[in-house]
Amino acid sequence: MSSKPTTVAGPQRLTIEIAPLVIACLIMFIVPAILNNDFLLNKIARYLVLGILTISLALSWGYGGILNLGQAMSFGIGSYCMAMALKLKTIPVHTGSRGLPDFMVWNNVEALPWFWAPFKSLGFALGAGLAVPALVAAALGWFIFRGRVTGVYVAIITLASMVVLNLVIIDQQRYTGGFNGITDLAQLEIFGIAFDAYDRATYYLVAGAVTVSLFVAFAFTKTKAGLIVQAIRDHESRVRYFGYDVAAYQIFVFALSAAIAGLAGMLYTVVMEFASPTFLGVQLSLSVVVWCAVGGRQSLVGAFLGAVLVAGMQGALSETPAFVETWTLVMGALFVLVVLFLPKGLAGFAEAAVAWVGRRRVVPTMAQSLEHKEGST
Amino acid sequence: MDQVIEQIVTGLSIGSILLLIAIGLSIIYGSMGIINLAHGEFVMLGAYTAWVLQTYLGLGLLQSIVPIFIVVAVFGWIIERYVLSLLNNRPLDTILATWGVGIMLQQGVRLLVGSELRYVQLPPSLSESVSLLGVSVSSYRVFLFIVAIALFALTWLLMNRTSVGMKLRAIIQDRTVAASFGVNAKRVFSLTFAYGAGLAGLAGALVSPLKSVSPEMGTGYVVDAFMVVVLGGVQSLAGTVASAFILGELSGGIAFLENDTVAKALVLLAIVVLIRFRPEGLFTTRVRA
Repeated sequence: MSSKPTTVAGPQRLTIEIAPLVIACLIMFIVPAILNNDFLLNKIARYLVLGILTISLALSWGYGGILNLGQAMSFGIGSYCMAMALKLKTIPVHTGSRGLPDFMVWNNVEALPWFWAPFKSLGFALGAGLAVPALVAAALGWFIFRGRVTGVYVAIITLASMVVLNLVIIDQQRYTGGFNGITDLAQLEIFGIAFDAYDRATYYLVAGAVTVSLFVAFAFTKTKAGLIVQAIRDHESRVRYFGYDVAAYQIFVFALSAAIAGLAGMLYTVVMEFASPTFLGVQLSLSVVVWCAVGGRQSLVGAFLGAVLVAGMQGALSETPAFVETWTLVMGALFVLVVLFLPKGLAGFAEAAVAWVGRRRVVPTMAQSLEHKEGST
Repeated sequence: MDQVIEQIVTGLSIGSILLLIAIGLSIIYGSMGIINLAHGEFVMLGAYTAWVLQTYLGLGLLQSIVPIFIVVAVFGWIIERYVLSLLNNRPLDTILATWGVGIMLQQGVRLLVGSELRYVQLPPSLSESVSLLGVSVSSYRVFLFIVAIALFALTWLLMNRTSVGMKLRAIIQDRTVAASFGVNAKRVFSLTFAYGAGLAGLAGALVSPLKSVSPEMGTGYVVDAFMVVVLGGVQSLAGTVASAFILGELSGGIAFLENDTVAKALVLLAIVVLIRFRPEGLFTTRVRA
């Protein structure tokens, strides 16, 4: 797998790499000033949230070489954490005693289950939305990477785990709302600010989260751990022979990526005003992979834009049903073409174009130059 | 006692369908290292070809077996030649590419023929039922069982008794050495993929009278067939047979259990644990990213 240059060639290189992030974030904050349409802003906020989810996949797939086909699992867990908290904040109309969520009353649940109780505290829920996906991912990562499972098998295990959780949530209707998910939620309220889904405050909340996720992920790729993670992607055994604990780094990046996906999930509940088992469905999870591949899995901004553009286009075209069918066909073709001819996605394309215009030479990574030497002997 | 035999026969019938689908998947994965996520769509294409031949040309299922095989094999050959052969050294990307191809096939069919359910008729000569050990069994299911076993035997012969099969086995063992002996790996891969696709198409055509035909019918099958391959281990066709019937019997048994969802989840968990602890034992070739 080819890779993005990771050797730091002075502050100039860093500026060039940060510039797209800053530009993307600036544009995102300017949009509401130009666009005076709260309905459209809600839609854009939705695509931005999916963008965060795709950033999280770029981190584990593009930088860590871990193809997680179950990325939506973390997203779904985050989304349910938020939904549980917001559900308990509602004033139930149909409920009987003790403020039970309405669907539990319909399913003859007598008392609030123990795992619902802590979600009465919003602070706990917000923490759980990050921590639970991270812990689940860490446990799954421990299971996978300590056994030195690689490549295709990681993809199968992550996908299968997500399907299992999805099945359990649908099956345990009494406690999770089952197929319908958790609906009729209260508004999120932090420090006296109410985040109505169709309000600017929510858009800014999402935009802020995008900014934080982009920069946290970017900063991570620049740390020593981040560099080692990329080295593992390029050549796992070589890093292991250097004496690094490969699995520990993989587990860490896997968990970090899950936490970011959890954040995206929480915001998705706020923007969509419900949580549903489809949020951790195969459809969404594979779509994220497409967005990430189209945008450029080895570029955080690229992956983010890939999600916003492709999901946005899909959303815009879904108003005309005839078009949507053709669109799926086009998306399949686009995806195959990107996989074949643009392994680095649109971001790689842009990078090449910039390099060609500026006649800059791209510094090859250690692993690449080593491989090159090996190949020539 | 009758119920037990009935249960076993149902299991065998499910197993033979699984086997039909899994053989193709298994030889493609075993020889080329490609996890073919478009396999379910080949199954679907086979079913639609059967439907088209029956509706527009009035051909019965039995007469159309050979044309169906050829049509779907040609699809497979084209996909291998123009998509997958470009991804020689990127095994992980073949999952993505075949998934994209699968979406295109599914959507293409939906656009061309619509997403309504279609029905294929049972061959009249096989619509009766026969009595086995005192239990009445549809003779079409017996026919399926025999076809599955026959195709397995044919595949085994192709792999072990023909020169193409020998070349394929040589490539699996060491592609470079095989190439230096003049084996054209690209051509053998194209043939293998086409054969695997053709088998899947055949499977789809043969199940079509039992189930309705729809653009997304393949999705469920590919998961089940994949489990068969994982359980049986690649490069051991015999393992595929054994695991197809084990899973067939299990699914038959699961139908008895009250909670279908939990049973499904348990089977998936078992697969996860299996991959984690015995990846080499089950898949002999390890794929690295």
